[in-house]
Amino acid sequence: MEELCIKGLSAEAEGKKILKGIDLTVRKGDVIALLGPNGHGKSTLLNCLLGSPHYVVTSGTALLDGEDILPLSTDERSRRGLFMAFQNPPDVPGVVTMDFFRGMVNAHREKPISLFEFYKKTTEAYKAVGLDSDMASRHLNEGYSGGEKKRNEILQMLLLKPAIALLDEIDSGLDVDALSLIADSILKAREEGTTFILISHYDRLLELVRPNRTAVMIDGRIALEGDFSLARRIAKEGYSFLEKEKGILIRKDEEERTSIGVCGAKVTAK
Amino acid sequence: MKDIIDFPLEKTAPTGAKAFLLLDRPLPRGASFVIPSEESLSLSVVDLFTGSYASTLSFRLGERSSLTIEIASLLGEGAEKELTIEVSHEGKESFSRVRFVGINLSDKPFRFRGNSYIPNGIHGCDTRQEGRITNLSPNCLSEVSPALFIKDNDVRASHGAALGTYDADVLYYLTSRGISLSESKRLVTFGYLMPIVEKLADEKAVALAKRRLEEIRL
Repeated sequence: MEELCIKGLSAEAEGKKILKGIDLTVRKGDVIALLGPNGHGKSTLLNCLLGSPHYVVTSGTALLDGEDILPLSTDERSRRGLFMAFQNPPDVPGVVTMDFFRGMVNAHREKPISLFEFYKKTTEAYKAVGLDSDMASRHLNEGYSGGEKKRNEILQMLLLKPAIALLDEIDSGLDVDALSLIADSILKAREEGTTFILISHYDRLLELVRPNRTAVMIDGRIALEGDFSLARRIAKEGYSFLEKEKGILIRKDEEERTSIGVCGAKVTAK
Repeated sequence: MKDIIDFPLEKTAPTGAKAFLLLDRPLPRGASFVIPSEESLSLSVVDLFTGSYASTLSFRLGERSSLTIEIASLLGEGAEKELTIEVSHEGKESFSRVRFVGINLSDKPFRFRGNSYIPNGIHGCDTRQEGRITNLSPNCLSEVSPALFIKDNDVRASHGAALGTYDADVLYYLTSRGISLSESKRLVTFGYLMPIVEKLADEKAVALAKRRLEEIRL
């Protein structure tokens, strides 16, 4: 992957506009800190790039080395080199983690991986993220703690070695030691050629990984771009300076957020 | 292909762990079993019979007896199935768990009814009825009804029912790793059934069940 060029990307969920014309060019080797207040579209952007069924892309393109990936299915986008570490990976009862990993690795290869090589790679990956490899015999994500789920996401990234990794709040719920291990894995993957877009609300991971670029999303658009010093300033001062110095208005109406799922129950009794 | 394990469950005092794979014949139309006091029965059934049938299995539990039933059932195209599991707690401190997992590929009814009965005066019993059917056909008619008929106050009883198609979030997650949609659906479908299939102690039975499942068009 040399370049992912996102142009005029707009998207909505349940008829509500969330992305309103995203323009962002990601170049090989970039580590981009994607920052912004809650509810302004950061996770939506990553999910639209991967083809989440919860969002409808209404306009725009995402050219990966010249090919628009938006018409592709999610699995095809993955095989083109996109990977996302989910903010809330779902439990998949009954699917054994090891079987899933093998299917995942083989989906990216022409010839199936040998058992020996697969065992070696998974053992190394489990070690890298500080998880017990016995977890491979458990059902995928079922009964995992929040921290274990996050480590398991990074483990999958290490197995796949994607061209672009989209990490959605990978640092939430991690203790200090786990955060350090995750940062080491990100740095190692970067050395091996993976490009990153990171969403984080905490500066600790960013200080360990040191992104070369920062992009700030406000109200569904990339409102400001800069280098790592911009992320550091936001970590120190918050977003209020954007309005004072740059004239960027930040909507504070929390009700503008869009829900992408509803769970409810109605009980009636005579 | 013949059933490699029939359903020859003795009607009086069936105990221990029993596992059955049904390929060419259905569960019996009606059968009653008694679990004597202090005894336990753990029953696993993998029902891959593709035809139609209705079956009612009744279990009577003695004092401090234990019954665990897990059934994985596939309703093939054009078929209709109705399975009722009746559990009567006739002895104090008896224990029962019933779990039904179904996959509906048909556009005809697939019904599971699980009923637990605890009469007045039979204290300290513990029962749970649980059913889940995953609908893979757009026009399928599925029904899951886990019911509790409790007349004593000193018991533990619970029930759970789930009906639906694939979880969109799970499919998105699996496909996000490069696995095709059809393979993802297969993984999830197997995922519902495999924990029960693996209880078939006989390796040949497990292999046969897996082979039959792999033949399913999703």
